[in-house]
Amino acid sequence: MNGETLLKVDNLKKYYADGAVKALDDVSSEIKRGEAVVVVGPSGSGKSTFLRCLNLLEMPTEGHIYFNGVDIMDKEADINIHRQKMGMVFQHFNLFPHMTVLNNMTLGPIKLLKMSKEEAEANAMKLLARVGLEDRANEYPSKLSGGQKQRVAIVRALCMNPEVMLFDEPTSALDPEMVGEVLDVMKELAREGMTMVVVTHEMGFAKEVASRVVFMDRGKIMEQGSPAEVFGNPRSERLKSFLAKVL
Amino acid sequence: MKEWLNELAAEFKLNFIDDDRWELIVEGLKNTIIITFFALLIGVAIGVVISLIRSTYDNNKEDYKRKGGVGYVIMSILNGICNIYLTIIRGTPVVVQLLIMYFVVFATSRNGLMVAIICFGINSGAYVAEIFRSGIMSIDKGQFEAGRSLGFNYIQTMIYIIIPQMFKVVLPTLCNEFIVLLKETSVAGYVGIRDLTKAGDLIRGRTFSAFMPLIAVALIYLVIVMILTWLLRRLERRLRKSER
Repeated sequence: MNGETLLKVDNLKKYYADGAVKALDDVSSEIKRGEAVVVVGPSGSGKSTFLRCLNLLEMPTEGHIYFNGVDIMDKEADINIHRQKMGMVFQHFNLFPHMTVLNNMTLGPIKLLKMSKEEAEANAMKLLARVGLEDRANEYPSKLSGGQKQRVAIVRALCMNPEVMLFDEPTSALDPEMVGEVLDVMKELAREGMTMVVVTHEMGFAKEVASRVVFMDRGKIMEQGSPAEVFGNPRSERLKSFLAKVL
Repeated sequence: MKEWLNELAAEFKLNFIDDDRWELIVEGLKNTIIITFFALLIGVAIGVVISLIRSTYDNNKEDYKRKGGVGYVIMSILNGICNIYLTIIRGTPVVVQLLIMYFVVFATSRNGLMVAIICFGINSGAYVAEIFRSGIMSIDKGQFEAGRSLGFNYIQTMIYIIIPQMFKVVLPTLCNEFIVLLKETSVAGYVGIRDLTKAGDLIRGRTFSAFMPLIAVALIYLVIVMILTWLLRRLERRLRKSER
């Protein structure tokens, strides 16, 4: 299974204001099973737009996205089915405030995967224990710290048993002392072989975890390669100046 | 002082005890509550449907246009109908609507109570719809995205995630609409329905004493509104507890 193409992006374009703003300007890429792709770049470079296009939270203007070989931008494709297999973690957690942590996690499995309540809860508790939050299962999200919220958001996505996890700046809204606990969970996920696409400003994480680093600027993929190549031997001037600022 | 009290007692007897006139008040109160309650049910039902159509259309306009076809046409027509409904209902006085309902639309029906329920229900539906819609709009977009990213479709996301949160946000405004509706039903007398206000007015007409029956009616409205306000506060406090 590992190594086969899971996500394929062909000539993806996302224009705003009738083409005056090119958030994504002809991006093509391929993400293989088991890969941990980390997307970096200056703000406004289109990296978040790229990620959000992968599960069509943003509708690309042009291009194709193949997930497991199926063109999900096709009019006939049922995006809801595909999204069940693509977990997403947001910058602002987006936990459901009117539900307990446990209900946040079991809503999807019960309603969409038609799991029994017992099974979904047992599964959720197992995942909560893995991120050390089993004692918070019956709390409401507002009682949790930012780091705890994000860990819950990650396991909420994992409850759906996804084939790929998309992370949209998962640590950007966190207090510095909470960044570590979230990154640790993500590192563990990567080690277990979860396919991940991560948009982040955490260069340390990128160096340590990424199987591939993608540098984006002005809506284009400027450079990509192993962390050693991208961080150790940047070719373009833009990447050099970007790295000089963030490292 | 004693003389004044005696006079008051005599007035009270004349207006409420003689000829069992208090029964008019009780009957009126009953009708007022019936009209308000059922009109509210109709109003909330209409409100949910209209607010869903309108916010669905607003949120998915791009998507519908892209996919085109029947879905887009149906949604555009539904949205148009909703807008016409809102404009007409909010643009005309409720008394006029009631008169039209009673003497034109349901001209053959002599069931005033039913006509009033339908009329006030349709009227309140327009206001409730806008309350719900603003409630839906006030929910963070991230909630919506989180629901969709799990794989819920638009309707499921609305039902499981957005509407429960929306209800909490709009509850105070919704209860306020309920209170407004209760007081608005006082114009039902225009088409001969014996609601609370009409009952007070009937007594006034028979006893030629205005003070007692009208103040009594006012007090009854006031007490009901105060009870509703008190219940609302308790409800709000309980809802808030679940989040903190």
